[in-house]
Amino acid sequence: MKGLRILHAILREIFEESAYERFCVREGLGRGRGSYALFLRQRRVGLKCC
Amino acid sequence: MRGIRLLLWVGIALFGALAFATVALHRGEQINALWLVIAALCTYAVGYRFYSKFVAAKVLGLDSRRATPSERLEDGRDFVPTNKWVVFGHHFAAIAGPGPLVGPVLAAQFGYLPGTLWILIGAVFGGCVQDFVILLFSVRRDGKSLTEMAKQEIGRVGGLVAYASVIAILIILLAVCALVVVNALKQSPWGTFTIAMTIPIAFLMGVYLRQLRPGRVMETSALGFVLVLLAIWGGQWVSLHPAVGAYFTLGAPGLAIAIILYGFAASALPVWLLLAPRDYLSTFVKLGTIALLAVGIVLMHPTLRMPAYTRFIDGTGPVFAGKLFPFAFITIACGAISGFHSLISSGTTPKLVRREPETRMIGYGAMLCESMVAIMATVAACVLEPGTYFAINSPAGIAGALPEKAAAAISSWGFPVTAEGMHRLAESVGEMTLFNRTGGAPAFAVGMAHIFSSSLGGQAVMALWYHFALMFEALFILTVLDAGTRVGRFMLQDALGHVWRPLGRTGWYPSALATSALIVLAWGYFLWQGVRDPLGGINSLWPLFGISNQLLAAVALCVATTITIKARRARYALVTLVPLAWLVVVTFTASWHKIFDPDPRIGFLAQARQIAAAGGNARLTFNNQLDAVVTAILVVMVTLLLVESARQWMAALSGRKLSSTTETPFVATRLVEEQG
Repeated sequence: MKGLRILHAILREIFEESAYERFCVREGLGRGRGSYALFLRQRRVGLKCC
Repeated sequence: MRGIRLLLWVGIALFGALAFATVALHRGEQINALWLVIAALCTYAVGYRFYSKFVAAKVLGLDSRRATPSERLEDGRDFVPTNKWVVFGHHFAAIAGPGPLVGPVLAAQFGYLPGTLWILIGAVFGGCVQDFVILLFSVRRDGKSLTEMAKQEIGRVGGLVAYASVIAILIILLAVCALVVVNALKQSPWGTFTIAMTIPIAFLMGVYLRQLRPGRVMETSALGFVLVLLAIWGGQWVSLHPAVGAYFTLGAPGLAIAIILYGFAASALPVWLLLAPRDYLSTFVKLGTIALLAVGIVLMHPTLRMPAYTRFIDGTGPVFAGKLFPFAFITIACGAISGFHSLISSGTTPKLVRREPETRMIGYGAMLCESMVAIMATVAACVLEPGTYFAINSPAGIAGALPEKAAAAISSWGFPVTAEGMHRLAESVGEMTLFNRTGGAPAFAVGMAHIFSSSLGGQAVMALWYHFALMFEALFILTVLDAGTRVGRFMLQDALGHVWRPLGRTGWYPSALATSALIVLAWGYFLWQGVRDPLGGINSLWPLFGISNQLLAAVALCVATTITIKARRARYALVTLVPLAWLVVVTFTASWHKIFDPDPRIGFLAQARQIAAAGGNARLTFNNQLDAVVTAILVVMVTLLLVESARQWMAALSGRKLSSTTETPFVATRLVEEQG
């Protein structure tokens, strides 16, 4: 069970769901189109390795 | 308990030695791919348990009491204390790209042994160490980037060289990645259709994510994946339809233009519409397929058809020209050591690490996993009959353009293959031809399809597996292209902003469009050059990419050695100095050959002279001269950095200059020890 929880947490971090959640908490916003659009505007493009 | 542990490690070491002996000493008979996997796993286990522990304790002195920037500077955005497994997964997803899949496939022309040895030894003593030490040094400097650390530790020259190296490698990397996709998709309506479909699928995902289910990325990626599977299925129909199929049957120049336009669009369009959803989709497919390939290899444990080494170690190989030394070591970068990783290790990752000791698992451990991916790619290439492998990877300029002629030429090298056999293979994977499909991706796809179809569905679904593998690679590569072009644009805007401030504003459209166009034109030029190259492009561009990537690794190791010496741990500096010395020898030798070798297949200048003497295209002559100049500039820059670093080392060692640390002062952590 713990392994699955960790796997889920890893995937949420990789797919930026956790980042969006943190953004909502930080900005005091609820989940929704407006807050997600704001989150995407601040999203940084990370380098992808070869 | 201690005795049992000792016995366990002795057992692992002995088993690994047995696997190595089997891999290295068998001649004239085929071996099972599992021996490669066992040799790799045992090497990684021993390397991680003992060598990384030594580096952690003696060289770096990891301190669990010290607060990391994620704790001290926590802002919920960039700096976030994160579970070590989560950071590990995040870091691995960022460093795992197409490199460890393509490089080992190309290097398989030397046989399975040279590439395997370099991947294992290079990773344990080079790549993992580089990723680990740069991560830790960045953690101790508030998550500073490699270029910032180079500037702080080695001076302005260091910073300038690191910055220029990053820009150079980015442009060459994007060009070579695009060329791999062009070579994989040319004259392949099925593959081209599938990849073309990923663009509207990404648009749909973007709109779905933004309007319908904001923030549900995993759900959206799963939906996108289902749509991609449908596109693969539909591709078969497209390839068989004479009218529709014709639209998707493109030659190399047409595909190159399409990819250049795509790169520009991806850089200029809003991130949420194309780049982000494609990134998610690619990550989804990437993680799943790598896991699937690992399971497939273990379950099917195929036999390696390629010999341990081939006659082409003498430098006459058709895939790329040049002897085993130094070319095998620049052809395989990402699976053994890759300078690009140092950018990731000093990028997002250090800002997420909760505790210093976790950098060992994240930096060293994730690179071991990347190395394992390279071993799997070696297996995928080497399960093919050697004749088939060379038929796919040999350019028309070397083997011949006609199937019969190419088959006869490859057979005369000692690797039997027939035009009829290749035709049947092409038919079974839904392609018109598999001759002259250079770049590594098609050979990897055929190998992967061969492994999967043996267990899952048989020959009937070989074509689906092949196109799945091709889609997986192309998707992977185009994501690198998207992100790389955009990051290159930001770097250029950042630099131009010092000249005229509005140019530095990323949101100002004229600047965004102009800088996107400049970056795309830069890599597009090299791509076009590769497409027009009579030797297939990979022969000149992949070594150029390998040289620039390994030179960036040299920059990273220079920074690491300088910090180690300044931290009064000079007696342990060999840990980074030895891989640095090796990379300098390899890359400088390779650069010398690429510039001055009298063989026109190897030396850029010799090829330029040959083309000019034959009254050939002036543009081709210029392109070769340009490649020679680019290589020379890279070498000069790294030489400057080495001289500057050596001055710093001598000053610190002789005591002429007080060693000034740029580490953030110690602050005790308040985080509670995490279990597990």
